Amino acid sequence: MMLLQASQITKRFGNRIVLNGLDLNLRSGEVVTIFGPNGAGKTTLIQILSTLIKPTSGTLQIGGIDALAEALRARPSLGLVGHEPLAYLDLSPYENLKFFGRLYGLDGLEQRIADLLDEVQLIPYAHEPVKLFSRGMIQRFMIAKALIHDPMLLLFDEPFSGLDLAAKQFVLKRIDRERARGKGIVLTTHDTELGYHIGSRFHFLLDGQIERGAEKEDIGLEALAREYEDRLNRCQQR
Amino acid sequence: MGVFRQIGWLIHKDLALQFRTKEMLALIIVFSVVVVLIFCFAFGPIFPEKLEERGKLAASVLWGTFLFAGIITLNRSFDIERANGALHGLRLTGVDASYFYLSKVVSIFVFLILLEVIVTPIALQFLDVLTILPVALQKELPWLLLKLIGVLAIGTLGFCAVGVIVSGISTNTDGTESLLSVILLPLTFPVIMAGAKCTVSLLTTGGLEGNFWISILIVYGLIFLASSSLLFEFVVEG
Repeated sequence: MMLLQASQITKRFGNRIVLNGLDLNLRSGEVVTIFGPNGAGKTTLIQILSTLIKPTSGTLQIGGIDALAEALRARPSLGLVGHEPLAYLDLSPYENLKFFGRLYGLDGLEQRIADLLDEVQLIPYAHEPVKLFSRGMIQRFMIAKALIHDPMLLLFDEPFSGLDLAAKQFVLKRIDRERARGKGIVLTTHDTELGYHIGSRFHFLLDGQIERGAEKEDIGLEALAREYEDRLNRCQQR
Repeated sequence: MGVFRQIGWLIHKDLALQFRTKEMLALIIVFSVVVVLIFCFAFGPIFPEKLEERGKLAASVLWGTFLFAGIITLNRSFDIERANGALHGLRLTGVDASYFYLSKVVSIFVFLILLEVIVTPIALQFLDVLTILPVALQKELPWLLLKLIGVLAIGTLGFCAVGVIVSGISTNTDGTESLLSVILLPLTFPVIMAGAKCTVSLLTTGGLEGNFWISILIVYGLIFLASSSLLFEFVVEG
């Protein structure tokens, strides 16, 4: 099932073209990893895919809905783990999840919150303000928040940055579990090893354009890292 | 899902956050009392003999104080939404922007009304307005204070109706606080002017002396409330 279809997405900020005619498709059970250096436009791409900002031109379909024309209807189908928690840090994880869960109109919310907090190992801290949490705990909370409404499409923007090894392993396991449940996942990173480990298809975002990489079965980690480096070098020479 | 339930949850979240951090409540109350005291010391200890003059003084002190307390409250309320991408988190739930607008108006209104209930008697006492009221008005003092709070409430609702949409606009721009003040002060001028006129009339005659100013107060607030709730989607979504 096709979850996401982005076609000819272009985004300009003033005269600067950040994304230039970008195409991206995603099916359920797929993890698309997008590699790109700092400033390549990864965050802009994720913000467009999550309907938080509008592209200058192009089309975007999420679960068959025209997400640019009907953003409010498309949004409950997606979950986002970005650079920011997208939540109220003065509230506790329990209060945040309850608030956002209510807005999503969820039934059985108390059980859902308890299960999620248990999965992300935050039960002992369920009623403490999120602002007191460490980076790793905030990342786990962000994952719980993105999953509260069980969306079919998950977007991760640099989910490993600033995390220690254990926290990275936790995020990897969690993404893999959601993929196994049939979710479609788009993940941006500049970490080739982690991105390769979790991805099923790879793309490179360079100079505002998506350069098609390969399926996982067609390429090994070393070859992928070499190709990424080559493309980065070519991009810098242009 | 019920419109009122969604708006109720948004209001509940806003009030929980406003009252959780007691520093805000303390700051606004202390600020307002200090402003009142400054006026008292500047104009006192011997206030104008005529009731009308003293009524004018009290009205200007009250509305000046509540205007600046209102600006601080608006700033604080939108700071909470801006911080950590909370507003993006809210948008991702697919909640209608007009619900968000109405909830903000109500929660800021409740906060300011509480402040007005605390500060108004203090101001009237320090400005020595109550002692020179005619005997007939003194006998109806609780009823007079109730009418005064009613006028303040209608004016505050108008202020919030204008303030929330202007805060929403300035949230998406640089130099938020200066822009808020620059746009907000001229737009709220009719509310403050009509509110002050009604307050003077109440404190000197116990009534509203015709319906002109109270009509301005009500109509201006309703026009902004209705039009802003329709337009707020464009403010939030850009």
